[in-house]
Amino acid sequence: MTLADRMLSPLEHDALTELVNIGVSRAASGLRQMVGGEVLLSVPSIEVVSHKAAAALIGEREGSDLVAVRQDFAGAFGGRALLIFPHGASLDLVRAVVGDLLPDAEARSLEHEALAETGNVILNGCLASMANMLERPVTISLPQVLHGDGATLFQPEPGDDDGLVLFLYINFSVRNRRIRGYIAMLMDLPSLAALKLLVGDFINRVMNDDTVGP
Amino acid sequence: MTRSAHRLRAHPVADGLDDQAIAAAWAEAEALGGPMLVALRRSAMAMVLTDPRLPDNPIIDINAAFTELTGYAAAAVRGRNCRLLQGPETDRATVAMLAAALREGRAVRAELLNYRADGSSFWNALSLTPVLDALGEPRFYLGTQTDISGARRIGSVETTLRTQARELDVVRERLRLALSVAGAAAAWEWRIPERLVVGDERFAALYGITEAAAAAGISPAAFFAIIHPDDRARIRLAVGGMLRGAEVFSKSYRVVLADGECRWVQARGRSVNDAAGQPDRFLGALVDITEHKRIEEQLRIAQTAGGIGTFEFTYGFATVAVSRHFCDLLGLHPAAELPVATINGLVCPAHRPVVDPVTRAAAGDVTQREFEIERPDNGERRWLTLRGEYLRDTESADLRLSGVIYDITEAKRREAQLRTLNGTLESEVEARTRERDRLWRLSGDPFLVADQAGRWLAANPAWTEVLGWPAASLVGRTSEWLEHPEDAVSTHAALTRGGGESRFEGRLRTAAGDWRWLSWTAVAEGGLLYCVARDITAEKAQALALAEAEARLRQSQKMEAVGQLTGGLAHDFNNLLTGVTASLEMMRTRIAQGRYDALERYIVAAKDAASRAAALTHRLLAFSRRQTLAPKPVEANRLIGGMEDLVRRTMGPEIEITTRLAPGLWLTLCDPHQLENALLNLCINARDAMPGGGRLTIATDNADLGGATARASGLPAGEYVELSVADTGTGMAPDVAARAFDPFFTTKSLGQGTGLGLSMIYGFVKQSGGQVGLVSRPGAGTKVTLLLPRHQGSGPGEAAPAPPVRLPRARPGETVLVVDDEATIRMLVADALRDRGYAVMEAGDGAAALELLREAAAVDLLVSDVGMPGGLNGRQLADAARALRPGLKVLLITGYAEQAVVGEAALAGGIEVMTKPFALDALGLRIRGMMDGPPG
Ligand SMILES: Cc1cc2nc3c(=O)[nH]c(=O)nc-3n(C[C@H](O)[C@H](O)[C@H](O)COP(=O)(O)O)c2cc1C
Ligand SMILES: Nc1ncnc2c1ncn2[C@@H]1O[C@H](COP(=O)(O)OP(=O)(O)O)[C@@H](O)[C@H]1O
Ligand SMILES: [Mg+2]
Repeated sequence: MTLADRMLSPLEHDALTELVNIGVSRAASGLRQMVGGEVLLSVPSIEVVSHKAAAALIGEREGSDLVAVRQDFAGAFGGRALLIFPHGASLDLVRAVVGDLLPDAEARSLEHEALAETGNVILNGCLASMANMLERPVTISLPQVLHGDGATLFQPEPGDDDGLVLFLYINFSVRNRRIRGYIAMLMDLPSLAALKLLVGDFINRVMNDDTVGP
Repeated sequence: MTRSAHRLRAHPVADGLDDQAIAAAWAEAEALGGPMLVALRRSAMAMVLTDPRLPDNPIIDINAAFTELTGYAAAAVRGRNCRLLQGPETDRATVAMLAAALREGRAVRAELLNYRADGSSFWNALSLTPVLDALGEPRFYLGTQTDISGARRIGSVETTLRTQARELDVVRERLRLALSVAGAAAAWEWRIPERLVVGDERFAALYGITEAAAAAGISPAAFFAIIHPDDRARIRLAVGGMLRGAEVFSKSYRVVLADGECRWVQARGRSVNDAAGQPDRFLGALVDITEHKRIEEQLRIAQTAGGIGTFEFTYGFATVAVSRHFCDLLGLHPAAELPVATINGLVCPAHRPVVDPVTRAAAGDVTQREFEIERPDNGERRWLTLRGEYLRDTESADLRLSGVIYDITEAKRREAQLRTLNGTLESEVEARTRERDRLWRLSGDPFLVADQAGRWLAANPAWTEVLGWPAASLVGRTSEWLEHPEDAVSTHAALTRGGGESRFEGRLRTAAGDWRWLSWTAVAEGGLLYCVARDITAEKAQALALAEAEARLRQSQKMEAVGQLTGGLAHDFNNLLTGVTASLEMMRTRIAQGRYDALERYIVAAKDAASRAAALTHRLLAFSRRQTLAPKPVEANRLIGGMEDLVRRTMGPEIEITTRLAPGLWLTLCDPHQLENALLNLCINARDAMPGGGRLTIATDNADLGGATARASGLPAGEYVELSVADTGTGMAPDVAARAFDPFFTTKSLGQGTGLGLSMIYGFVKQSGGQVGLVSRPGAGTKVTLLLPRHQGSGPGEAAPAPPVRLPRARPGETVLVVDDEATIRMLVADALRDRGYAVMEAGDGAAALELLREAAAVDLLVSDVGMPGGLNGRQLADAARALRPGLKVLLITGYAEQAVVGEAALAGGIEVMTKPFALDALGLRIRGMMDGPPG
């Protein structure tokens, strides 16, 4: 398979964007139930870049203190999903989940759990509905809360060293709360190839679907 | 002689130009030129000294700034003529002008394109001055060079933008008309379980189907059919996503209309889930953005050419939406979104971050600052300027910072050079009497000698040229009397900073009373200040022009956003307006009652609504003119009378205007604004058809059309009011006349015609139940006739000042249920009704209202908003409520956008409709009337 084959065609790119859109919408309604507020989403933006360029991008894009929830997923396609909050926003999120009445110290002690739980709801919801749409099961690891700068969060795993990486960004915010963040997903080369095939199937299903088509 | 031949002409090398000879030449030049020449030589202004006594006036010496500017070292240019800086694009006429001045021994200034040693070109502002000897002959020539490329480039961006601004005006007007013809957006509701797409009338028009067919719903396949084949798969996918649970839909794509025309549209939508969380409906709307696409592309080009990067940051988001050029300027990989941390991370310490997520500003605030960054790609340091405006985002109610950045490193570098070149003057400088100082008198650059207190001791004649004051009137005092008040402090600070040399900018008043910007270099020497000034007014003006250009750039970007506005905004706006006016009315009532304590809540409500409305207006711009079509009895003669003055002014003196208005003209029923607009459009067409002048006739008459005549016009027989506009202009060839009513058909050039005038008139007249006729012959003129049905009934009744009405009050026990999701309006309506003695119940949505109706004993009347969230709109609530309580009277309150929803409701007995905004008194009267009327 050549590099060009691994790249997504424009239609596949669109389809993947839609898949993520569906996944994130599902995840958002989960978040909505947790925080009881309106959750606003941006349309996802997706980039497929080489690992080298990815390293450069990460270096450029991330820097300061971040809090992230990370979940790894495996199955027909696999990779890492990260829910990232800029510093400061995470405590607001905790407040939204546990309520405003809890004293600060207690809220802080719950921060870890609340983050992990929120991350789980969002990332799990997103990945599960993507998997569902692609008609392939994926297993998802337990959430892991990370603190650090971008370099730490995106540190390549051993074996990540060549090929392409899928980057995905979605902004989300909760109305009346200062909660903002974004989701990033990293997939390695074999996963991307598998995903490309599944996305192709998905396109065929949508195009032949009678709820949409004739 | 061709340019290149000219360049290749052999330059006789000035022999014997060794170091000794150069030093001797300088000594002689300084003896003639005085300390001013020394100051110049040391300054950051590029300069060159030539010797006209040697063959071909070769360069004797240059200063360091010249090398910096041109890349030529002294050794490389000594003995050569300055034309070595010229090249293929250098303007010949300018060079000839220089040659002529040099032949006559005159000082001269010019701007011309020059080339550096490395072949790159720059715009050179050149100033040549002869240094005369005791006999008055040019002994040397002094040339100073300034790079003005930046200012030039700004100028060209400015021109591009100006052209675009004009085109934007045209587009804006086109859009306005298009909107008044077609409304803002075609809306659809995709009923997912039923596999049906229901559209409104604009959707019907777009798809070329009848309104009834659109209302009944079309198949998904039909929905996709008009999408351009190249875009169809993409959109099917996106819709597929929506049907499977995605929430947001935002796509632009092409549609192919029935006549084969291809238009770009922007579609936005949202999905609504059923109780089980499954996608149930997919609501969307699309607007035509064909023009925006084009303008967008032009803007992209202009931005790239002007080196301008754009960005937009919504407070709280982790990323900033950026243009490609923004990334280029920062040395980042191109991306549409960049994390805030990334951008701010590039800013050198001690500078404020590019987007500061903490500091908040108010909507409308403008920010401008300069900062230095280190590019991650090559480690280079660059200076950038940021200009931004804080805007209220109507979608998320959050603050956005929308702005541009551009590179100013060149300017900064020059500035820094000026500062660092702080060398002390060598003591060799000899004081010279001004009388002997030839350079002083002949230079085009203003020179000045001042004492340490800043008092001007001597000013050269160039001052008179720059400021218009005779030199004699300038000396003997400080320049305080000339200075711009805002500059006094900075000037003083620069002069007293100490060190041998200071540089500053400031404005001085001319004899004519306006201001010139001057850039100063002052050298302290022997207790005196020797100053050289350069007139930088033009550069300043260009910088200002750039600032304005950017403002317009942003404005035009806003246009794109405005294009995405839908009728919903008008609805919101009317809601808010009602909130304001009703609050004010309530305040008046309370004041009259002396109940001052109750005022606060209305003040708060009004202020809240007003500030939200203000934010909305900002975006609505010209489009806010789109009004609800409100037919009224119209006296056409009076309407024409009211417009005559405007028409006369529009037509110009070459056109004679006659009106023939039939006395006793019948009334007609139509929207008066639209009729005015139609008449005006006809008059403008007539004017355009009579470029050499002619006669315009506006006439009215009563027309009683018998069966045959009526049939010929496609109208039912009956009585009509006839209005006609005739001209003696060019007329139309049959093929033009045949298409004149087509939307966008125009024979006029861009900016002259939109092709929407007649089509709009046609739409309006048909809507009013009439017909348009056109008679035209090439060379003989044109007559357009509007037939509008007669209105039987009383006239508009020239607004006699309303008699102080006794406000109708409730009869005991009468109960009204008020339903509106907009709390302000609900509160105001409820309070107003309570004031009138009604018992009032309130509900925030349809479900709550039905609950109350089930429980409450007596409700006499339901007042409900039409557009409400939560599943039940006003129309549906009315039906449900009347199912519960047959005969319940209902008053629906509607904004523009919901006319379609109300539909036939207005015709059913017992249901009435009132349009927002309305006055509370009018509401009171209406409710009284309904209460007293027959049961529904
Ligand atoms: C002191 C001095 C400085 C000059 N500096 C420039 C210069 O910077 N750029 C340029 O294009 N011409 C410059 N010129 C003009 C050319 O040297 C030359 O006079 C001009 O091209 C007209 O002569 P020509 O038609 O024989 O070429 C300068 C001339 C003098 C005397
Ligand atoms: N009074 C008139 N005399 C001659 N030609 C006319 C006249 N009115 C309209 N036309 C023709 O019909 C075209 C369409 O008119 P209109 O719909 O008003 O659009 P526009 O005036 O913007 O071109 C005009 O471009 C012109 O060719
Ligand atoms: Mg016209």
